[in-house]
Amino acid sequence: MAIKEIAVPDIGNYKNVDVIEINVKVGDAVKEEQTLITLETDKATMEIPAPFAGTIKELLVKVGSKVSQGSIILKVDTAADTSATPNGTSLESKPAPAAPSSSSSTQEIRVPDIGNYKNVPVIEVSVKNGDSVKAEQSLITLETDKATMEIPAPFACTVDQLKVKVGDKLTQGDLIAVVKTEAAQASSPATKAAEPQTSVPVKSEPESQPQVASQMASNVSAHASPSVRRMARELGIDLAKINGTGRKGRISTEDLSGFIKSNMGQGGGAGLNLLADPNVDFTQFGPVDAQKLSRIKKISGANLHRNWVKIPHITLCEEADITEMEAFRNEQKAQAEKNGVKLTPLPFLLKAVAQALKCFPNLNASLGADGETLYVKQYYHIGVAVDTPSGLMVPVIRDVDQKGIYQLAKELADFSIKAREGKLKPSDMQGGCFTISSLGGVGTTSFTPIVNMPEVGILGVSKAAMKPVWNGNEFMPRLMLPLSLSVDHRVVDGSEGAKFVVTVAKYLSDLRNLIL
Amino acid sequence: MTNSIQTEVVVLGSGPGGYTAAFRAADLGKKVVLIERYSTLGGVCLNVGCIPSKALLHVAKVMDEANEMAEHGVSFGQAKIDLKKILGYKESIINKLTGGLAMLAKQRKVTVVNGVGQFVSDKAIEVTNDKGEKTTVQFENAIIAAGSRPVKLPFMPDDPRIMDSTGALKLEEVPGSMLVVGGGIIGLEMATVYHQLGAKISVVEFMPQLMGTVDKDIAKVYEKWISKRYASIMLETKVVKVEAKKDGIYVTFEGKNAPAQPVRYDRLLVAVGRVPNGKDIAAEKAGVKVDEKGFIAVDKQQRTNVPHIYAIGDIVGQPMLAHKAVPEGKIAAEVIAGQKHYFDPKCIPSVAYTDPEVAWVGLTEAQAQAQGLAYGKGVFPWAASGRSLSLGRDEGMTKVLFDEKTHRVIGASIIGPNAGELIGEVTLAIEMGCDAEDIGLTIHPHPTLSETVMLAAEMYEGTITDLIAPKKK
Repeated sequence: MAIKEIAVPDIGNYKNVDVIEINVKVGDAVKEEQTLITLETDKATMEIPAPFAGTIKELLVKVGSKVSQGSIILKVDTAADTSATPNGTSLESKPAPAAPSSSSSTQEIRVPDIGNYKNVPVIEVSVKNGDSVKAEQSLITLETDKATMEIPAPFACTVDQLKVKVGDKLTQGDLIAVVKTEAAQASSPATKAAEPQTSVPVKSEPESQPQVASQMASNVSAHASPSVRRMARELGIDLAKINGTGRKGRISTEDLSGFIKSNMGQGGGAGLNLLADPNVDFTQFGPVDAQKLSRIKKISGANLHRNWVKIPHITLCEEADITEMEAFRNEQKAQAEKNGVKLTPLPFLLKAVAQALKCFPNLNASLGADGETLYVKQYYHIGVAVDTPSGLMVPVIRDVDQKGIYQLAKELADFSIKAREGKLKPSDMQGGCFTISSLGGVGTTSFTPIVNMPEVGILGVSKAAMKPVWNGNEFMPRLMLPLSLSVDHRVVDGSEGAKFVVTVAKYLSDLRNLIL
Repeated sequence: MTNSIQTEVVVLGSGPGGYTAAFRAADLGKKVVLIERYSTLGGVCLNVGCIPSKALLHVAKVMDEANEMAEHGVSFGQAKIDLKKILGYKESIINKLTGGLAMLAKQRKVTVVNGVGQFVSDKAIEVTNDKGEKTTVQFENAIIAAGSRPVKLPFMPDDPRIMDSTGALKLEEVPGSMLVVGGGIIGLEMATVYHQLGAKISVVEFMPQLMGTVDKDIAKVYEKWISKRYASIMLETKVVKVEAKKDGIYVTFEGKNAPAQPVRYDRLLVAVGRVPNGKDIAAEKAGVKVDEKGFIAVDKQQRTNVPHIYAIGDIVGQPMLAHKAVPEGKIAAEVIAGQKHYFDPKCIPSVAYTDPEVAWVGLTEAQAQAQGLAYGKGVFPWAASGRSLSLGRDEGMTKVLFDEKTHRVIGASIIGPNAGELIGEVTLAIEMGCDAEDIGLTIHPHPTLSETVMLAAEMYEGTITDLIAPKKK
C-alpha cells in the first residue's frame, strides 16, 4: 500500500483558482487521465486528470476551494489499484487503517425526512473528509423549488467518506457520508440525520408574495433590461425576489410570467374579485383628523390581512379554573420579588402551553410554503403579543419548556420593556412556534385572535372573573380564566384544537399536572 | 379681460422635457395645453443651448480640421469669417427645429399658450403674455417643466461685454481675448467656439480640475490638450473683482494660479452653473414645495408633494440635461394617463462637446472608490487606434469600468473626437447588464472609433491583441 499525494499541475500563471466540481469521491478507483476535479478561472474551466491510477483515500479540496499550482488535491492509494475492478468500484477497500481508533465506530448518515421532495439537488457541501463536526453542524445544503434546507449532523463525528457532491440529487434515505464516532457518542441508534433546518417556513415575516407597492425597492440594481424593469414595475414585482434564468442570471420577461404563475398557484389573494374600498369624504359628516398609520401598524396590518384571508380559522373557547394557581402565585409573590421578578400569570400560561404543545405536536408545526409539508418543530419557542404605543409586537421566548417560572417572568419583563421602547431586534421576534395574546389586563370575555403565519395556533387570554361553578353539590366561587384558541384548520382539526385548549386549562387548574 | 381654458393636462415650459410631456400626453388621449413664455417652442435647448452651440461647434470643428490639413498637404488659406452668415446658419437650424415642433404640436391638437405662467391655485395657472393679456388655464393635472437659467454673479458689472451662455451664442464679435469664468461643460464648449474663431481664451475655475465630476485622468488629457492652445488655465483660482473700463474688462483674481495684477480682457463669459426656475412660478399658490435653491422634489413617477402636479427636467434636480428631462416628461405624461411607469434608469450619460469631446456615463473611478466597490478597468489609448490616427488625432482614451465580481460594465469615460457618440453604446451596455465579454465578443466595424469600446473591454479581459494587456493581478 502506497499513499501518494496528487497536486495541482502547472496551470499557467493562475493562482487561487476556484474548484467548481469534484469529479471523484473517496473510495473511487481512478484510472490514469481520469478527471479528478474541475477548476474555473475567469477565462476557462480546466479539468485536472489523475497522473496515475489508484484509489482515492482522502479529498483535501471541496467545491469553492481555491488552489494554485502545487496545492495538494487528494491522496491516492496506488497499491490498491491492483485490486480495483475494471468498472472502477472498490468499495470493499477499508478506510486507511493509519490510525484505527479502537474506541471509534463507523456509522452512516443518510438523508432524513425532507417532506415530499425527491431528487433534491445538493447546492453546497459544507464538510470534507477528515473534518470533525459537531452535532447539528450543517453537512450539506439541499435546495428545492421552495426552500433551501441544511442537513445537519445528527451527532458529533468525524467525516470519513463523503458520498455526495454538489449537483447530486438526493431523496430521503440516500447515503450522505460514512462517519466515525467516538464510542461514547455512538449511542444514538438513529443513523438518520437530524431534521432538516428549512430556512423558509420558520421565518416570521414570509415575503414570498408579490407585493404591490407604489414605491418599492429600486429595481435598478437588478440584472434586467429596461423593458423588463418597466414590466416588473407595472406588475408590482420586486425583481430582487426573482432568480433570472437567462445566461449569468439575467431576468427575462419569461421569468416575470413564471414568477406570477407560481405565485398565483399559492393564491396570493388574487382573484377574490372584491369591491374597491369605500372612499368616503368624512368631513361632510363632521370634523375629522387625518393621521398616518404608524410604521408598525402598516407592516403588521399587511401580515394580519394575509393571515386572515389565507388561513381558514376556527376559534375554540374554554375557561380555566385558576383559583388555585392564583392562590399559589400570590403566595410566591413576595419570594419572587426578593429574586427581583414580578410574578404575573403569564409565565404559568407559557409553561402550560409549552407542555400542551408537547402533547399535541400538530399545534407546534408550520405548513410549508408548498402547502403540502408539515414542519413539526422539536423546540418550543412561544411568541407573546405585546401592545406598544406604536402597535402590536410579538417577541419570542425561546425554549419555554426548558425554563423555570422565574426565568420566564424575567425574560417577559425584559421583552416588554424593550418592546415599549421600540428596541426589539428582528431576531427577538423570529422563530416562534405558537403565540399567546393576552387581553387579561384590559377585559373581555372572549375574542378571536388571528393566527400568526407560519404558526398554526394562537391562544387568546381574556380577563379572569370570579364565577359560581357547580361542583356537584353546590355553587362555588371560582376564579375562571377565559381562553380563546384560534388554529389553522388546514393543520389542526376542531377536536384536536378542543383537546389542546382543554389540556391548557387542565394544567392551569392544577399546576401539578405540569410535572406529571 | 381674461381668457379661460379648461384642460386635462397643462405643461408649463416647452423645452425638450415639456414638449415631450405635452406630446406624449396628447398621444395618450389627453387634452393638453402647453405654456411657453417665448414665441418659439423648444426652450433653452433648442433656442439658446444645446442646438445652437452645436451648430457653432460644427463651424469650429471644420475650421480646426482645415487648419490641421495645412500641415498635411492641403491648404485652404487664411479663413475668412462672416459672423452674420454663421449666425444665419445657426438660426436656420433653430428655425427648422422649432418650426417642426410647432407643426407637431398642431398635428397633435396641443394648444400652445404664449406668455409667462404662474400658479394661482392647485387647479389653475395664469398666463400673462408680452402685451399684458391674461389667460387662465384650469387644469386637472399639471407638469412643471420650467427649467433653469444661468447663475448670475452678484459682483459682475452690467456690461454688454460680460456675457452668459445665451449672450455668447449671439456671437456679436470675435473678441481678441476672452475670459471664461467657470470650467464646466457650458463654458468650455463656448471657449472651443471662440478659440477657433480666433479669440485668445483664458479659463478660471475654482476647483482643482476642469469639467467637475469627470475622472482626473480624463480631465488631465483635456487640460493638456487645451493648455497648448489657450492663453491660460487658472485652476483653484477665483475671480474677486471685475471692473468694466472703456478699453476692456479688468479682472482681479485670487488663489493658487492667480496673476498678481488685474488682467484685461475684451470679453467675459460667465458660466458658473445654472439655477432652477422653481421660485418664478408661484408654486406656493398650488401648495407645491420648492426648496431654497428653487428645486422641486419629486418621486420616481415625477409627482410633487401635490399628487396631481408633476415636475420634470432641470427644475427637479441634477443632472440638468435635456436627455434626462425627455424621459422624465414621458413618465409624467404616462403616469397621468394611468400607466404604472417609473423613472428608474441605471445611468444618465454626460457629454462635453469640447475639442476633444469628453463623455462619461455610470460610475466614475472616484465614485466607485467612494462606494468601496471592487472594480477593474480596461483602458484603450487612441494612439493605438488606426481610425483616430487617420483623423490626425492621438490624444483620446476610452476607459471602461467593470464590477470585479460580475465583470459587468458599471461606467465609462471617453475623451477624443466623437466621444459623445461612443458613450451611447456603453450606456446601452449598462442598461442591459452587459459584461466585458459581451462587449469584447460584439463585432465592431473596423476601422472606427467605436472599436475602442470593444478594445477597452478586451484590455480588461486580457484578450486584446492590438496591445499588450496589463498583467492580471
